[in-house]
Amino acid sequence: MPSLYVHVPFCLKKCAYCAFYSIPLAGCREDWKGIYLQAVAEEAKLRSKEAQGGVSSLFLGGGTPTILEPLELDSLLSAIHKNFSFGSPQNTASPPEGSKAQQKEIEKTVEANPGTLTKEKLNVLVSYGINRISLGAQSFNDRMLVQIGRIHNKEDIRRSVWLIRQGGIHNLNLDLIFGLPGQTLTDWQDTLRRAVELEPEHLSLYALMLEEGTPLARKFSSNPLNVVEEGDPVLPDDDIQADMYEWAAGFLQQQGYRHYEISNFARAGFECRHNLTYWQSEEYLGLGPGAVSCLGGVRTKNTENLELYGKLLFAGREAFDPLETEVLTREQKISEYLMLALRTAKGVDLNAFTQKFKESIQDIYGLKLIKYIDKGVLIQDEGRLRVNPRYFFVLNSLLVDIICQ
Amino acid sequence: MSLASSRIRNFCIIAHIDHGKSTLADRLLEFTGTMSARELKEQVLDSMDLERERGITIKLHSVRLQYKAKDGEVYELNLIDTPGHVDFSYEVSRSLAACEGALLVVDAAQGIEAQTLANVYLALENDLEIIPVINKIDLPSADPEMVKREIEDVIGIDASEAILASAKNGIGVEEILEAIVHRIPPPQGDDEKPLKALIFDSKFDSYRGAIPYIRIFDGKVRRGTNIKMMSSGKIFEVTEVGIFTPGMTIVEELKAGQVGYLAGSIKNVQDTRVGDTITDADNPVAEPLPGYRKAVSMVFCGLYPVESSDYDKLKDALEKLQLNDASLVFENETSVALGMGFRCGFLGLLHMEIIQERLEREFALNIITTAPSVVYKVNKTNGEHVLVDNPALLPPLGQIESIEEPVVRASIMVPSEYIGTIMELNQEKRGTFLNMDYITPTRVNLHYELPLSEIVYDYFDQLKSRTKGYASLDYELKGYKEANLVKLDILVNGELVDALSFIVHREKAYQRARKLVEKLRGLIPRQMFEVPIQAVIGSKVIARENIRALRKDVLAKCYGGDITRKRKLLEKQKEGKKRMKQVGSVEIPQDAFMAVLKMDD
Repeated sequence: MPSLYVHVPFCLKKCAYCAFYSIPLAGCREDWKGIYLQAVAEEAKLRSKEAQGGVSSLFLGGGTPTILEPLELDSLLSAIHKNFSFGSPQNTASPPEGSKAQQKEIEKTVEANPGTLTKEKLNVLVSYGINRISLGAQSFNDRMLVQIGRIHNKEDIRRSVWLIRQGGIHNLNLDLIFGLPGQTLTDWQDTLRRAVELEPEHLSLYALMLEEGTPLARKFSSNPLNVVEEGDPVLPDDDIQADMYEWAAGFLQQQGYRHYEISNFARAGFECRHNLTYWQSEEYLGLGPGAVSCLGGVRTKNTENLELYGKLLFAGREAFDPLETEVLTREQKISEYLMLALRTAKGVDLNAFTQKFKESIQDIYGLKLIKYIDKGVLIQDEGRLRVNPRYFFVLNSLLVDIICQ
Repeated sequence: MSLASSRIRNFCIIAHIDHGKSTLADRLLEFTGTMSARELKEQVLDSMDLERERGITIKLHSVRLQYKAKDGEVYELNLIDTPGHVDFSYEVSRSLAACEGALLVVDAAQGIEAQTLANVYLALENDLEIIPVINKIDLPSADPEMVKREIEDVIGIDASEAILASAKNGIGVEEILEAIVHRIPPPQGDDEKPLKALIFDSKFDSYRGAIPYIRIFDGKVRRGTNIKMMSSGKIFEVTEVGIFTPGMTIVEELKAGQVGYLAGSIKNVQDTRVGDTITDADNPVAEPLPGYRKAVSMVFCGLYPVESSDYDKLKDALEKLQLNDASLVFENETSVALGMGFRCGFLGLLHMEIIQERLEREFALNIITTAPSVVYKVNKTNGEHVLVDNPALLPPLGQIESIEEPVVRASIMVPSEYIGTIMELNQEKRGTFLNMDYITPTRVNLHYELPLSEIVYDYFDQLKSRTKGYASLDYELKGYKEANLVKLDILVNGELVDALSFIVHREKAYQRARKLVEKLRGLIPRQMFEVPIQAVIGSKVIARENIRALRKDVLAKCYGGDITRKRKLLEKQKEGKKRMKQVGSVEIPQDAFMAVLKMDD
């Protein structure tokens, strides 16, 4: 049973670090939201056959899904629920641990940005069973929020959290970014403490990535020596970022969060089931422009061009970008499997691996694994192979060495 | 002397780099109608890129000019070009031996340089008629009178008839040609005597085999002649003789006094060594021409393919280069750090750089070069003597009684204001002062004895930078001298990296070791674990640096839409690592192996 992702490509304005497909509403043609909603409804209808047994979770991402008006949200969610049935989570490959209440409910997440949520919108969401909100808080430092092009301030975050809780959502994630220009370890500690005060069930902490083509990358990547005008903020170097990461991991564990994936922390039972489907190399179906699906070993990506997306779907055709379709080879599947599974605290289930690939992980990687087990980078116990969390932040070095042949 | 040979003139051009030799040669070709300006351009385009970029002649060229002199007669002028670098001084001496005269081209603004002087002395030893040409006289800074005085004082020849020229603007070209005809004697020699020809260069042609470039002293050679190489006794049947116009043009025969080439299905340039004498196998001369010696490699280094799968390609490329360059020697070598490669011997540093560049450019090979080494004589405690051209192969400390290193006699010519600078430099380089002559009141020639290893290290760069480029250097191998030398080894993460070992004077070991480990710390990327870099002599650590462990190398976000891109990113990262050499568990980039060579950057 695949998970279902729906991409909403609209934002109030583009953030300086963002490389996702999104259209700032300011520069957007008036009819585009309408085209989008109709086209997604078409796509949901067209592709529902790919998930006839239902979907295991829903994630509405963006962009900023909550930029849509209540009626628009209603129409989007209605189209989704008309075409897809939401299966029982007990059927998913690995049900998360936690309370029984959590297990019974299908996880349905909507991403939101502070300042875009209203009571009315929340009511619509809740009426469709949305039970998890992922809020793009990013920082509790107003100066830094301005710098990275966010539209909100720390008060907006608090107000949004209050609204969400009032709306009856009991599973809240806050996204935070560290390694921002000018950020110090103390700034970061302050942001984290304020975030924890709001008692989210889940926290995602992302080290800032300079994605090609973003304003932030233009400012810093093309400037390898980090030369800036006097007084201009500089990017914290890798060592400072590592300090920030290590401090956060320690602090959140003290606060009762589990470090269950490189960048993700959750209270017991609140691990994001939708995202676990990616890290466990399960199938997923993506709707909306730019959304990626991976079904039956074939990865497809919808065109990012909203007009073309609409045209294709109104003509009753799928909106895949032919250049992005990829039939995964066995080697690629294995590489991805490890690349993803080793991101999680649980790591790789060795028996499941052997069953899936008809060859054991030791047979494929043998000595290389032993080398890292000997050095304490990898830990093999209870039928699993996992990365010592101390080495999470240098996972690439390990992956590059072991998985790419 | 036959009438024909009375109209032959064989000459060469002696000049310092940049003093205008190539331009002058071009003008001579143009003036005599040997080549049009357009053909010249094409010709230049055909020559090695490297030569043009460096403004030096690496490979010798030769050309016959037909010149109708003012006396109405047509003369055959053979220009034998000479390489302008100290590495090739033996080749220069053989080219000079093929001539009766030389144009000494001196820059009107800069005067004589050390290398020029060395070559003029060689020319005088060969009894060549020297025609001084003062070039670039139209430069605002030209001082022809000063240069004339220099020529007279330093070389001791009459410069009153020096020709004032500007090759660039065609000034003085006819005068030069007339001087060649009237001042350079025609070649002596007897067509009727047994064949005696000097090889002054050779090249390899895939159809005709090795082709010696020759100057006939006595006798004649034609298609069908059985020739004998006097150094090896090998016999070949001549299939073709010809001259350079400047392309190869077949002629019936070559006679005493003439310059040309011959072909005879000679498979290997090793059989057509510069300086060897060719004679008639059926009617040989008793004695070869004097002066032949085998090329001696002065500098050695290891050449390794970056990708070990390129080993065969590298071998093939070296073999191809050797076809044209009998002075390049190589043999298999295996390094623990770098795998399979070759230890190569060169005439000098420039020769080494040329070969490296040609391997990269012409054969598209990625190679790692280890630091150049000279050949040490090691006297062992058991009485044995061994020659060591690879520091990694130096016997263990306990077995060494003493080590001798090659020393050279160097002449450094500089404006007198730099005397102190040069003395200081030579002091640092363990030089011994011999003497000093004043060329003019403002220019001196300093003579030093210097260890060759110091020259190989960074001497030339230091000399140039400390004298703002004014100093020029010439040197010749003098012999071996005992010195307090030690082998410095580098351990990365506790493992010996044999390709980084070098031999150094004990007093300099500490300083060089410090610099090298610091430099390596900067060149070797951070790894998952802390990596110590140690410099050791024997078992004693004399310098240490730590490469701190890598702390961030992660993809922060990895969800459904990111997976393909992230996988490709890892694959790309892997590709980058392939260009590094794995030593134990540490990846070392190629530049690190060159760090030993360039520590003062």
